[in-house]
Amino acid sequence: MTTVTRTKRAAQRAGSVLLAALLGAQPLSPLMAGPNEQAVRMHNRLAGVPPSDAVLTQMATLISQSNPQGAAQLAMNNSGFYNVTLRNFIAPATNRAQSPFVPLNDYTATVIGMIRDNVPFNTVLSADILYIGNVGGAPAYSPSNNNHYQYLDDHGADLKASLVQTTQSSLTGVPSAATAGVITTEAAAQAFFIAGTNRAMFRFTMINYLCNDLPQVMDITRPPDRIRQDVSRSPGGDSRVFLNNCIGCHAAMDPMVQAFAYYNYDPTALQLVYTPGQTQAKYHINTGNFPDGFVTPDDSWQNRWRSGANALLGWSSTLPGSGNGAKSLGQELANSQAFANCQVQKVFQAICLRPPSNAADRGAAAQITADFKSGGYNMKQVFAETAAYCMGN
Amino acid sequence: MTVNTNRLRLHLLLPAVALLLAACSGGAPTTQNAEVANNASSAAIYTGPAPASADVEAFKVNLWQNINMSSRCGGCHKAGGQSPMFARSDDVNLAYSAALSVVNLTQPDQSPMVLKVGGGHNCWLSSPSACADILTTWIQNWAGGGSGGSAGSTQIQLTAPVDQAVGPTKQYPADSTLFSTTVYPLLTMFCSRCHSPSATVPQSPYFASSNVDQAYAAAQPKINLNTPNLSRFYVRLATESHNCWATTPGGPVDCAGSAARMLAAIQGFANAVQTTPVDPSLVVSRALTLTAGTIASGENRYDADIIARWLFKENTGTTAFDTSGVDPAINLTISGNTTWDSAWGLIFGTGGAKAQGSTATSSKIYSSIAASGQYSLELWAAPANVTQTMAFMGGYSGGTSARNFTLAQDAMQYQAYGRTTSTDANGAPPLTTAAANMNAQAALQHIVLTYDSTHGRQLYINGNFTGDVDPVKGGTLANWDNTFAWVLGNETSNDRPWQGEIRFAAVHKNALNIAQIQQNYAAGVGQVFYLLFDVSALTGVAQSYIMVTASQYDNYSYLLAKPTFISLNPKAQPGNIPIAGMYIGMNGQELQVGQAFSTLNTSVTDDNYSATGGQLLSSVGTVVPLQLGPNSDLFFLSFDRIGTHTHTRTVATPVAPAPTDLAPSSDIGLHVYDEINASMAAITGVSPGITSVNATYLTVQQQLPTVPDIQGFLPSQEIGISQLSIQYCSTLVDTPAQSAAFFPGLNLNQTPAQAFGTDAGMDLVITPLINSPAVGIGLASQPTDAQIRTELYSLMTALVNCNASDPTCVQTPTRTHTIAKAACATVLGSATMLIK
Repeated sequence: MTTVTRTKRAAQRAGSVLLAALLGAQPLSPLMAGPNEQAVRMHNRLAGVPPSDAVLTQMATLISQSNPQGAAQLAMNNSGFYNVTLRNFIAPATNRAQSPFVPLNDYTATVIGMIRDNVPFNTVLSADILYIGNVGGAPAYSPSNNNHYQYLDDHGADLKASLVQTTQSSLTGVPSAATAGVITTEAAAQAFFIAGTNRAMFRFTMINYLCNDLPQVMDITRPPDRIRQDVSRSPGGDSRVFLNNCIGCHAAMDPMVQAFAYYNYDPTALQLVYTPGQTQAKYHINTGNFPDGFVTPDDSWQNRWRSGANALLGWSSTLPGSGNGAKSLGQELANSQAFANCQVQKVFQAICLRPPSNAADRGAAAQITADFKSGGYNMKQVFAETAAYCMGN
Repeated sequence: MTVNTNRLRLHLLLPAVALLLAACSGGAPTTQNAEVANNASSAAIYTGPAPASADVEAFKVNLWQNINMSSRCGGCHKAGGQSPMFARSDDVNLAYSAALSVVNLTQPDQSPMVLKVGGGHNCWLSSPSACADILTTWIQNWAGGGSGGSAGSTQIQLTAPVDQAVGPTKQYPADSTLFSTTVYPLLTMFCSRCHSPSATVPQSPYFASSNVDQAYAAAQPKINLNTPNLSRFYVRLATESHNCWATTPGGPVDCAGSAARMLAAIQGFANAVQTTPVDPSLVVSRALTLTAGTIASGENRYDADIIARWLFKENTGTTAFDTSGVDPAINLTISGNTTWDSAWGLIFGTGGAKAQGSTATSSKIYSSIAASGQYSLELWAAPANVTQTMAFMGGYSGGTSARNFTLAQDAMQYQAYGRTTSTDANGAPPLTTAAANMNAQAALQHIVLTYDSTHGRQLYINGNFTGDVDPVKGGTLANWDNTFAWVLGNETSNDRPWQGEIRFAAVHKNALNIAQIQQNYAAGVGQVFYLLFDVSALTGVAQSYIMVTASQYDNYSYLLAKPTFISLNPKAQPGNIPIAGMYIGMNGQELQVGQAFSTLNTSVTDDNYSATGGQLLSSVGTVVPLQLGPNSDLFFLSFDRIGTHTHTRTVATPVAPAPTDLAPSSDIGLHVYDEINASMAAITGVSPGITSVNATYLTVQQQLPTVPDIQGFLPSQEIGISQLSIQYCSTLVDTPAQSAAFFPGLNLNQTPAQAFGTDAGMDLVITPLINSPAVGIGLASQPTDAQIRTELYSLMTALVNCNASDPTCVQTPTRTHTIAKAACATVLGSATMLIK
């Protein structure tokens, strides 16, 4: 029996007892938390790790001086904020299984970099932006593999220090006008543009950035004129299924997914493909399912949710609600009220460990959202304000 | 020219228009059926004068021989019998002359003879519709081969419909008061768990929202005020058993009772709403029903070699008639869970169903195909799903192990079994479509299986060859068996059920070529109409219509497609007519769903308009819900703008749902997997990149908490945390420099008793741990110093004073290491680290 094994036995026995005892002793809602306790909680939740003595002291001092957001900014200086908290925050959005257990990739790195550099986050779905690592020995970035980011992952690179901003267009060959933030990263393309009909990219963007899956935004009253031919209007011979369910999503989704008409993921070349002026073949599959359906001629899109129940998503009045290509669709989505609400909701959940649950929470979230929009869509500001709100009393 | 209300049928024959419309519905010509049944058993041998012309000969072969027996028309319309004597046996030339008065060789299905028999006059089958179809086939065959045929295209005469105004209807009240006291209480009570924005997993539409105005807006598409029992709320409970509830305290879930309560609530709502004329602010066309449209379909198929055909028009009974006109008819006996589709079709439901012919009549397939050496099976079918396997759609079979041929669905693939001298008796190996092509879809598809000895079996879906090659082509049909039976929707032995709908089935005695298949695909299935919505009063253009191609799509909907502006006056010039926002109305109300033409924004202009084809307004089609049926549902169009008439549409402002408080939740949570790893690294100073540490982390990574919810903490997660903490502590203790820095003064080269025999000795381990970020100094949120020391003293003392019978209980420095690691891991893996 090895030393480690023997120790395991002893420690598991004792650890179980201590853990259970401590969990039992831990108050569910700490009463009378002082600056030290507030600082520890703030640091634990922002950086994912406990603070050092020195940082704890500094943060407690700032809290005592009624500057909890300053304390939060201090906590966010810890690399754990980038390597742990933000990575966890983003990683599930980069794959269909919504698993956090995925290697570092260009999608995750780009969002982490944008937050680190206070890049206005409402460009996350439209900017020509990419972050790569400045780490010696790392293979160069390639649009056809993840080796660069895998190296950073394997070597525990400090993402706070090593990420460098660049552009997708300079490295991937996709024209700048066709880039659309994380939508056109290789990781997103591999996850959501591969095979299928490109609708997955829209659905997961809705889930991840507007906090609404399609069942939450179904609206059967939207005009169905742009639902493609591949959608059966009478699945199995029963059109009630279409008229009460399918149409509720497709009527608005299909006109927006049209923005991705020139995109595909090539599973052989292992990279994003962009064919300006040429609609991808995947937009013309199963045309016999409903020959009178819409035939996609180009990448022009329309937002049919600007009227109807989903007008409540709060579309920007300064945007036209239609356009060509992924970039303008990304702008449409990311400048909605729902986008801003969603980012705050996600941060609130991550830091407060609950969704906004009562009037006080909702009021705080609304204020943070307003600050987010008026303050240049600064995500660190959202984290700081949220951490201050949930640091305990 | 004005259309009056006396059902003035304007048979405006527009040759050019007719040509265009023929192209719309398929284009290719109807081809003569070369072989016609010879019902020799009851037809007398003809001994009269020879046919005077080729057309008389065509009449004789194609129609007369099939109707002159006494069991059909010859019993009455014979020589000296009832006039017209088109079935007389004494002189086929006289019969021909008489027949010309009861047939329409241009539109055979509109022949007076067909309409009469279709109306129930002396049909020799139990289905007048089947007799009408058979007669149509015979006349069509005559027309295709004689001078009366159009030889290539069907001339469709657009007929102005009977003028009809949009009728009165019940409109939804503007406010939700009535709704709130009738239907809403049931919705909030039984549907709010999902259909409310405050639900745990909200499911739109939110008709059970706590905000009644929001609920009212969402509920309207689900309520039919004019016909409450067509309301989706009722149908969902009554026929789909969706989320029914117990209607008596403690009783079982009661769908019938739930549905009745819902229907009563909707009726209460509807009864309180007064019928009002159609909204006078709407700009509307004149109205018509589907069946008042001009019939447009069914004329352009390639049927020259059909030997059996089922159209499924019956809509009642347990027999599907073979209307090929080729005797003997393989009339299918229906059994199991089947439903007729009033849009022409037979639905094979769950639990197994079948439509099977007798072996005697089925043998005509054998006799015809044995002679030709090739065949085709043609289906219009909609699989109910793409998960069913070993599901037999149709075939000529003797059971699961012997068949002549069968078409089957295997998930998203089709399979064609076909017996030849190169296959086994079961027609295996089958031709199977490539999985990657996902040919089988849960949608209406035109599926054709062909066989000839050169190409073997081939499959065509929606007019396209699948590209799949028969693995054993080259055999002959010499080993076919004539004792098998024709069956649809199953195997003859009932153990290969297929779920879905068949809307058309035919067997051809040749292998259709790609052009013929595409011709039949283009011809479509079901009855298609041209609905002419009169907009003359709105446009100022005489006899101007919006013509919509329409059909009943299935039991629950209509298909409306390709709206086209056209005038029946060939000299009309539209000038410039703007048309925008065209909505489909039915029974006095605009429909809530399916408004595909509402986005229309165009102009009819002289440049774009042609007298022959009008001007296409939209190339797409839409499906809209059926309400009262094709004979009753009164369609109309309304416009936001047409010509100089406009309607300003009021767009309701959506109501934001009222926020709802959630149940209180824990204020604290757990560090998740990589936070735990990073925290342990930060506390101990041990690098997570060390191979042994990283390996342990990767081993337990997915065992660690993945969400911070403290309520979800599991024993398995605790074990994973322990393993990782032990690894970190083991590395810390076993690395002298790190150990010395973390535990100053600790001598690990002593025995356990020497090192930890006193509280002071144990404090050399415990104090650094308490002072580390694993616990932190002076934090009220952590256990007290004394609490932790008490626990660790107890642990370490027990490990020092271990039982001598324990083989690991050796008083050596090795055990000192072990005890230090145990104390370290106990703190590192405890709640003081884990909780955030």
